[in-house]
Amino acid sequence: MAVTRPRRRFDPVWPAAFAALVCAAPLLAVAALAVFGPWTDYMAHLIATRLPAYLGHTALVTVIAAGLAALIGAPLAWLVARYAFPGRGVFEWLLALPLAMPAYAAAYAWYDLTQAFGPLGGYVPTVRGPVGAGIIFAVTLYPYVYLLAREAFAGQSADAYDAARTLGESPRGAFLRAALPLARPAIAAGLALVVMESLADYGAVVHLGAPTLSVGLIRAWAGEGAVADAARLAMILVAIAFILFALERSQRARARQSAASGKRRPPRRVRLSGMGAALAIAACAAPVLLGLIIPMARLGARALNAPLARDLMDSAQNSLFLAGVSGLVAAALGLAAAYALRSKRKRAVFAARLAGLGYAVPGSVAALGVLGLFGVLQGWLDTAWTAVFGSVFPALLTGSVLALIFAYQSRFAAAAISPAESALARVTPNLDMASRTLGAGPGETAWRVHRPLISSGALLAGLLVFVEVLKELPATMILRPFNFETLAVTAHNYASDERLGEAAAPALLIALIALPPMIWIAKRITRGEARTEVTK
Amino acid sequence: MSFDRAPFARLSLTAGAALFVLAACGSPETGGDAAPAGDVEAGEVNLFTARHYSSDDAVYAAFTEQTGIEVNVVEAGGDLLIERVRADGERSPADVVITVDAGRLWRAEQAGLFQPAPELEDALQAVPDNLVHPENDWFGFATRVRGIAYAPDRVDPSEITDFTDLAGEDWRGRICVRSSNNVYNQSLLAALIEAEGAEAAEAWAQGIVRNLARPPQGGDTDQVRAVAAGQCDVAIVNHYYVARLERAEDPADRDVAEAVDFVMADLAGRGAHVNISGAGLAAGAPNRANAVTFLRFLLSAEAQRAFAELTNEYPAAAGAEYANPVLEAYGEPQADPVNVNALGENAGEAQRIFDRVGWP
Repeated sequence: MAVTRPRRRFDPVWPAAFAALVCAAPLLAVAALAVFGPWTDYMAHLIATRLPAYLGHTALVTVIAAGLAALIGAPLAWLVARYAFPGRGVFEWLLALPLAMPAYAAAYAWYDLTQAFGPLGGYVPTVRGPVGAGIIFAVTLYPYVYLLAREAFAGQSADAYDAARTLGESPRGAFLRAALPLARPAIAAGLALVVMESLADYGAVVHLGAPTLSVGLIRAWAGEGAVADAARLAMILVAIAFILFALERSQRARARQSAASGKRRPPRRVRLSGMGAALAIAACAAPVLLGLIIPMARLGARALNAPLARDLMDSAQNSLFLAGVSGLVAAALGLAAAYALRSKRKRAVFAARLAGLGYAVPGSVAALGVLGLFGVLQGWLDTAWTAVFGSVFPALLTGSVLALIFAYQSRFAAAAISPAESALARVTPNLDMASRTLGAGPGETAWRVHRPLISSGALLAGLLVFVEVLKELPATMILRPFNFETLAVTAHNYASDERLGEAAAPALLIALIALPPMIWIAKRITRGEARTEVTK
Repeated sequence: MSFDRAPFARLSLTAGAALFVLAACGSPETGGDAAPAGDVEAGEVNLFTARHYSSDDAVYAAFTEQTGIEVNVVEAGGDLLIERVRADGERSPADVVITVDAGRLWRAEQAGLFQPAPELEDALQAVPDNLVHPENDWFGFATRVRGIAYAPDRVDPSEITDFTDLAGEDWRGRICVRSSNNVYNQSLLAALIEAEGAEAAEAWAQGIVRNLARPPQGGDTDQVRAVAAGQCDVAIVNHYYVARLERAEDPADRDVAEAVDFVMADLAGRGAHVNISGAGLAAGAPNRANAVTFLRFLLSAEAQRAFAELTNEYPAAAGAEYANPVLEAYGEPQADPVNVNALGENAGEAQRIFDRVGWP
């Protein structure tokens, strides 16, 4: 047997980078449209009139969304990870559920509740404008921060926190100065997702009267027919996402040294009772009420007075199928991209970053990119097929489930990459080297060392994409096959026609379908932690 | 699984309701040269539609029952539809493209998505000329009127006979209207541009913005609610949103409708502002004959009745009969005679005016 030198690390760089590039392709198509598309005077008109307002609203909405989401998500993650109180086990997964509520549906429900003729009208200010939109995004998207931060807190060694306490910090001070900085990369990753999804939203901001850049973009397209200018505005969103990634990465880099501690002591949960427990329960219940229960109740109340949406079970099946398959694919792609990032090779990292950018762009733009791409691809296929078989390629790419799944990967890659990357960060180079020293090859290292450490991250990635796909609208609407309804499409069709009652049942089903996998993964993650604790 | 029995019970309920609607609308009167019922060779027709109303299901079902032609549907927003049909080019499976706004039809036509259908000429005799594309590329099969909902206790209908009235000083802080992102607002302003020119239209839009009671928010129904709640005195809305509230099962909705009246205001003295749900024969229609049969069916007595009775739209075909007390109370619109094609031509200009006057 020839002497082989085992590679230092398991780094499937090129397949990973290729996967990332495929995810990025639709966005690249839109970028091409932005660069090569025809120029009209519309851009100049826009700059002179609405663009400043769009940018201002975008800034305001995202700052409020991110600020509130951090304030809700991070402390609650800490509470759930480090304290014991009645209901903790339930809140652990319940807190993730508002993610199942599409932001536009929450916006419709809250506006309906608080507007002049609504049941809360006059008691609370109407949820509207950029502030209202920011709040809606915060209460529906904070679970990104919560989920990622909870994992970070739960996985943190208790040493830093205990050391801070020994040095005289109060529990609050120790949280702020020791635990929080260690979880900063996870929180930053969660916030990046919150901001990007707020940037990409169209339905909620239109309804609440908070026209952001994505509204300007759709308006350029819908009102003016200036597709190329819409693509250019999309590039602004992409640029913002790029900056976000850079910021997030710098957080990660700063946290690297501190995370590399040797022995890891699992944290013990502090028991709360009496007033403390009551406060903890109230704090956990509040965001779930605001982001999920109250909007659902409003929609449900309206549903009671409306006929049931048609084909609900078919829609549910289609949604489940699309979301399930996409979740699985995304888990794999997310992991691949995370490996590409881990390799630190410039081009691979660039490809993975590129893949994540689609998250900040409205789904209709991603759909536009996929359509353009498929148009070209179909042309090539048809030509090649004709040359060989004398007839055009037998299948039409758009209107196939494949097209949809591709579009979802492009749109939601960031949601898949972030958790995978967070998880992979735990696999320090030292581990690889130790594994090599012990004689394991790269494949064995990946299986026996990486897999146990990253499986929960990959699961989380798959779950996030699962839920995203359940909620996804524009790409689904336009790329789906004939007679193929999904829950989100059904809900949106009714809601956009101002029939909240009929929209309620499918919206409710989205949340219900998201529930079992959420519970399952929450339990699975906790079990995983328990196992690590025992082995230490 | 946690959702086992109840939804299936509901599903059968839905199915029952659908059958009922079908029975109500699918009177076995065969129209024109439709293929014989039950013909398994009848094939299919592929619709790309921006509509998603309950009346449509009834119409599709009745069509299939009558002709044996299967109806395949993709529903999406108008702009996305156009983009998909365009991207697929010659390979597009689209037979018929349907939108709920004349501006979108215009854009689809500009993109070369339609072909003329001379076979439809006789059927189109029943449709007013201004609802049909000048070269017969598409036609309106149902109409909606953008008018004014008002609080009768604070507004005398004689004050709002014309949209141009609303731009005056005495309406300061009294108007509710949704965002200018909405295509119905764009078409309204486009029609005004056609009637009075861009300058006058801009002055009008400026006046409306000055007179707003609150920043635009919500949909048309929400504007009606705001009038009922006293936040504003008038709201610019489509007629069927008010009609739907009047016919709603929810008593709270009927209370809202009770508190407002609706008037089909003139547009600069030319008649009511009418927009269409329109359809056209797709350029590459693979099932051309079936598509023509379907387009003809849209104008049939039962389809026209379904639009009027189930979605409160006005039938486009002259003499179509229906029973809808709310529509009868509003009366037949005396429409602005301008060809709705102009709404598309002026849509871009309308949008720029909205941007300039700061109508959010």
